[in-house]
Amino acid sequence: MASVEYENVGKSFGPVRVMENISFTIADHRFVVLLGPSGCGKTTLLRMTAGLESIAEGEIRIGGERMNQVHPRDRDIAMVFQNYALYPTLKVYDNIAFSLQVRKHSKVEIRKQVEWAAELLNLSPYLDRYPKELSGGQRQRVAMGRALVRHPQVFLFDEPLSNLDAKLRGQMRYEIRRLHDRLQTTTIYVTHDQIEAMTMADDIVVMRDGNIEQIGTPEEIYDRPANCFVADFIGSPSINFLRGEVRGDGGVPAFQSGSVALPLPANNAAAPGQAVICGIRPVDVSVAAEGDVRAEVVLVESTGAESHVLLSVDGQELRAVVQGRYRAKPGEVCALKINPAALHLFDATNEQRIG
Amino acid sequence: MLLSPGQRILRAVAAWAVVMLFAFPIYYWVTVSIKLDREIFSIPPKVFSFETSAKSYEEVFGISLGFEQGLSVLPGGGDFYMTPRLWDSIVIAVCSTALAIVIATLAAYALSRMRFRGQHHFVFWILSTRMMPPVAVAIPMFFIYRDFGLLDTYHGVILIHALMNMPLAVLLLKSFFDDIPKEIDEAALIDGASRFLVFRKLVLPMAMGGIAATAVLCFIFSWTEFLFVLTLTQTGLKTVPVVSSTFVTSTGTAWGNMAALGTAAILPAFIFILLVQKNLVRGLTLGSVKQ
Repeated sequence: MASVEYENVGKSFGPVRVMENISFTIADHRFVVLLGPSGCGKTTLLRMTAGLESIAEGEIRIGGERMNQVHPRDRDIAMVFQNYALYPTLKVYDNIAFSLQVRKHSKVEIRKQVEWAAELLNLSPYLDRYPKELSGGQRQRVAMGRALVRHPQVFLFDEPLSNLDAKLRGQMRYEIRRLHDRLQTTTIYVTHDQIEAMTMADDIVVMRDGNIEQIGTPEEIYDRPANCFVADFIGSPSINFLRGEVRGDGGVPAFQSGSVALPLPANNAAAPGQAVICGIRPVDVSVAAEGDVRAEVVLVESTGAESHVLLSVDGQELRAVVQGRYRAKPGEVCALKINPAALHLFDATNEQRIG
Repeated sequence: MLLSPGQRILRAVAAWAVVMLFAFPIYYWVTVSIKLDREIFSIPPKVFSFETSAKSYEEVFGISLGFEQGLSVLPGGGDFYMTPRLWDSIVIAVCSTALAIVIATLAAYALSRMRFRGQHHFVFWILSTRMMPPVAVAIPMFFIYRDFGLLDTYHGVILIHALMNMPLAVLLLKSFFDDIPKEIDEAALIDGASRFLVFRKLVLPMAMGGIAATAVLCFIFSWTEFLFVLTLTQTGLKTVPVVSSTFVTSTGTAWGNMAALGTAAILPAFIFILLVQKNLVRGLTLGSVKQ
């Protein structure tokens, strides 16, 4: 097992610049998720780590060793692909055993390892089958088995769950994380699904347009997003943004947007008069009989356990999550309570977090 | 689609009509090979009932089926005996197909998987070699072959047929390799396999269908190729299409013998296609990746 270090990594595909000055370190044993929308460079970064793309600029080190010129097979990594990439002409057993066979391990050793991996992944009954005879979830597990048997220093996952249905995805999420807790192998996991990132990661690296927007634990990213992009990307339903400015009347700082006025904590760093964007998570908005803000109901979506209420406040959209059922007709007027401690303030010009 | 009984019958009739249209010339050619000379051109044509004779086959294969004995000589003085010529055709078609497929498979895999400077130009260049009509290079080829001592040799003809087939084979096979997901190669490379092992053990078995289809095309080309065999051979060897033309002489045409040779020539090609056909199945990559 090993740490992975990125230093000033950059990449262009022809004239297209896809990555700029990526520098961060993944400590040994950590489960790190690279999170971002499509085209943000996360998969390219993973493929550079695997050796499938050249490292044109900067340096990638695994276990302290420079990897720029090292062949994929010598990097001691294992990768699970989005589309599994199983070997269709080989049986499950040989699929899992392939890497050990080409490395000329003894037959006894190979059998031991394959059986260990199959046991771990509940694949033992399927070793004699071909990939086409397996379900999606089983194929996914074969792909993981292929990575496991090598006991690599680093696991690389490239959106491994995106081809599974929602229920299976939830289950595999849990299984992958449990496997990591058991094997403690350093893992880099690429996804665009913030739920996967939040539930599985030790650390999340949020990327956009080839740049890192924020690195932190899931809690840090959720509680203190570095900018509007991160705040918007994390959390479901996504965060509400209200544009307004900071008022400092009478020594009590407040956020003012049209008729909405929300008191701010006294220690906030925003200057009076500053134009800001205020981020409010839907769970921090509650609908009440009495409250600070008046709003009009636009739409109510019930998910069963909770209701998502789309509201209109002074022409700005606002979402609230209400526990249980919320019965209201579109057009009804209600009052909102907003938890002032949960406000996120961002500078209106550069969208960076204030304080 | 649900069809009424009338429509079903109509469809069957139309299908049979098309099949008959294509099969009839072959059938008629076969009947010519077993007709007596005087009945070949009888008016009205005898399509179904005629007197049969194995004479044409006996002469072409130099065997006696108990009717007549010995070899005959063509009206122009040439030889009827064609067994060695069939053998020439088989050797040349099989070897040139094998050569073209071996080289084209490797080239196509490289073009499909590896990136190098000028790759698109390279693919276009390969294709461009087929843009010139072969007859334009036949005479220069003759001189080149004469200088290199390749005239009238098996390897000379095998070489030119393989060369002619290569561009098409490379492009066809490249598209088959392109259909095989690159991630399989990448997974295997990470697993520790060398490029060649990936090719041999994983990609090649998946490309079998495409290779079989390409081989059939190459074989048929070589089997029917006329121009280069005509110009690049003299007496040492001749393939079936070229010797067929020798039945046309200044004093007459041996239609029966020509038909007998033509009929016999259908068989090896037919057998070859049957042999590779079992590989012409799709879905060999099924189960590898989720599309």
